[in-house]
Amino acid sequence: MNRTAQTQTETQMNAEKPVASSGGLPGRLRLRSSQLPMHALLWAYVVLVLFPLVWLLLSSFKTNREITVNTWALPKRLDFANYKAAWETAHIGTYALNSLFVTLAACFLTLLLSSATAFALSRMTFKGLSKRVYAFVLLGLIVPPSAVFIPLYQLVTDIHLINTLRSLILVYCTYALPITIFILHAFMQSIPRELEEAGIMDGLEAAGLFARIILPITVPALVTVFILAFIGNWNEYIFSQLFVTSESLRTLPTGMATFNDGYRTNFASLSAAVIISIIPVLAVYMFLQRQIIDGMTAGSVKG
Amino acid sequence: MNKALRNPWTYAAFVVPTLLLYALFFVYPVIVSFIYGLYRWDGVSPKVFIGIDNFKRLLQDAVFLKALGNNLYFMAFSLIVNIPLVFLIAVAISKVRRMRGFYKSAVFIPVVISTATVAILFGVLYDYESGLINQALRLVGGDGWALEWLSKPNLAMLSILIANAWQNVGFFIVLCLAAILNIPREITDAAKIDGVNGWSETRLVTLPLIRPILFVILLLTVSGTLKVLDIVQIMTNGGPFQSTEVMSTYMLKVGFRSLELGYGSAIGVAMFVITMIMTGVLQRMSKSEEVQF
Repeated sequence: MNRTAQTQTETQMNAEKPVASSGGLPGRLRLRSSQLPMHALLWAYVVLVLFPLVWLLLSSFKTNREITVNTWALPKRLDFANYKAAWETAHIGTYALNSLFVTLAACFLTLLLSSATAFALSRMTFKGLSKRVYAFVLLGLIVPPSAVFIPLYQLVTDIHLINTLRSLILVYCTYALPITIFILHAFMQSIPRELEEAGIMDGLEAAGLFARIILPITVPALVTVFILAFIGNWNEYIFSQLFVTSESLRTLPTGMATFNDGYRTNFASLSAAVIISIIPVLAVYMFLQRQIIDGMTAGSVKG
Repeated sequence: MNKALRNPWTYAAFVVPTLLLYALFFVYPVIVSFIYGLYRWDGVSPKVFIGIDNFKRLLQDAVFLKALGNNLYFMAFSLIVNIPLVFLIAVAISKVRRMRGFYKSAVFIPVVISTATVAILFGVLYDYESGLINQALRLVGGDGWALEWLSKPNLAMLSILIANAWQNVGFFIVLCLAAILNIPREITDAAKIDGVNGWSETRLVTLPLIRPILFVILLLTVSGTLKVLDIVQIMTNGGPFQSTEVMSTYMLKVGFRSLELGYGSAIGVAMFVITMIMTGVLQRMSKSEEVQF
């Protein structure tokens, strides 16, 4: 379509908006057809993005030979042999459990520490000190963790945490703190003082105000930062690869990468392994997509 | 003001644990990496102080310069290809009325998949014999069109960039879309009364008004491409012939394979400084660009 024609379609589309909103059927039909180029563009893009995943799903039911010869065909039968092989040789079950443990532990630690700190910094009366502490913590948003791999590795070795899941929990937590405190601090600052006053009348101490009044109000923000931290930790690769050497302690991303190194040519098993590792994430995404999208983008909009 | 919120012990109990963890795993390593950078050290024998020799060496290290160049290539590709694509798709989604939610969820799917998995997925897609991409090319242009995506030095970087775009573009589309939908109706209506429509609306109204978010995307792209690591390490680990080496993969090789911890730390410090300078300059440039509705 040439430029003028396209502009014309656009003009039509915009001119028709009032007609559409008044609900006339012919208007709506015309509106839809003028939006067709947009839908075509978006469908093309969505297919381009999602087709690799669909192809991989189909490949995961084929044999290696079928993948090469019948690349485009549907699998001959629904054969779960690849899944069985991937599950057994790739130890995906163990890795997924390790990932789940590390991710949840790090998330809860992050939420506990950062909500307490954000409360103290935003609502307790040490204004000057709080300002400095807050600025200090936010420095963490600037420094890329990749710049400190070597000293961090040395440190984790020196305090005898190397090759433990605890090292991952503590490091994940630390690197999630700045952004989490940033988001919770902003949220808690916007809570009106009056809400605390009833609690103060009842004689609540600061800790009580935090746990009984502020924390329940902060739940939406807590959900956001929990998701942000959860996805980050669940997908984290490099710390896990550096700090954990035992096979049995690997997390899912490192386990997958190792499996990839060993089975680079066995696409049937590799496809199945990738699908197994994607499915839980997609399942959760289906149910919580709005929260996940909000959570993951929360940090960058304000930053 | 009440006494409850003035209790210094509660304040300390709420703040100190966070600060301890932060000091131990963040502040200390940052400081130490600057110090290590001044030494020659293999991790076992005593450290030898060599001043700024490591940093001088960086400037003459062909591999490091190549790696830095690759990071800049990564950045240029992301800015020139990814960002216009992000804008195009975000505008398109904002213009349709039906299925907006579906498009938004669909483009975001790759974002929730781990980089490790994406790297493996594309390893399979790029395979010479049976990978989807070569099979598609063969279908279109015959056997001659199949390419060795990851093992040809002049193609490998591009292959990684495509995989990276596949994974990241959706995130930025959603950011950009949120900003576009946030533009008050009155403004677009007023523009329409003035006769601004269609793509000229996009150019004259939408684009200027979402400059702040485009700037955030620019900043995230610049800092993200300077520290890129996972996807390169798993797909090629810098190969073939260091054609895809980036600063962070080189740092890990120097530090953990050659056991030159001093020099490796110096590379880390250089990455930090380069990121600071680039994002600092960008931020300075954008100071005057606030948009208020």
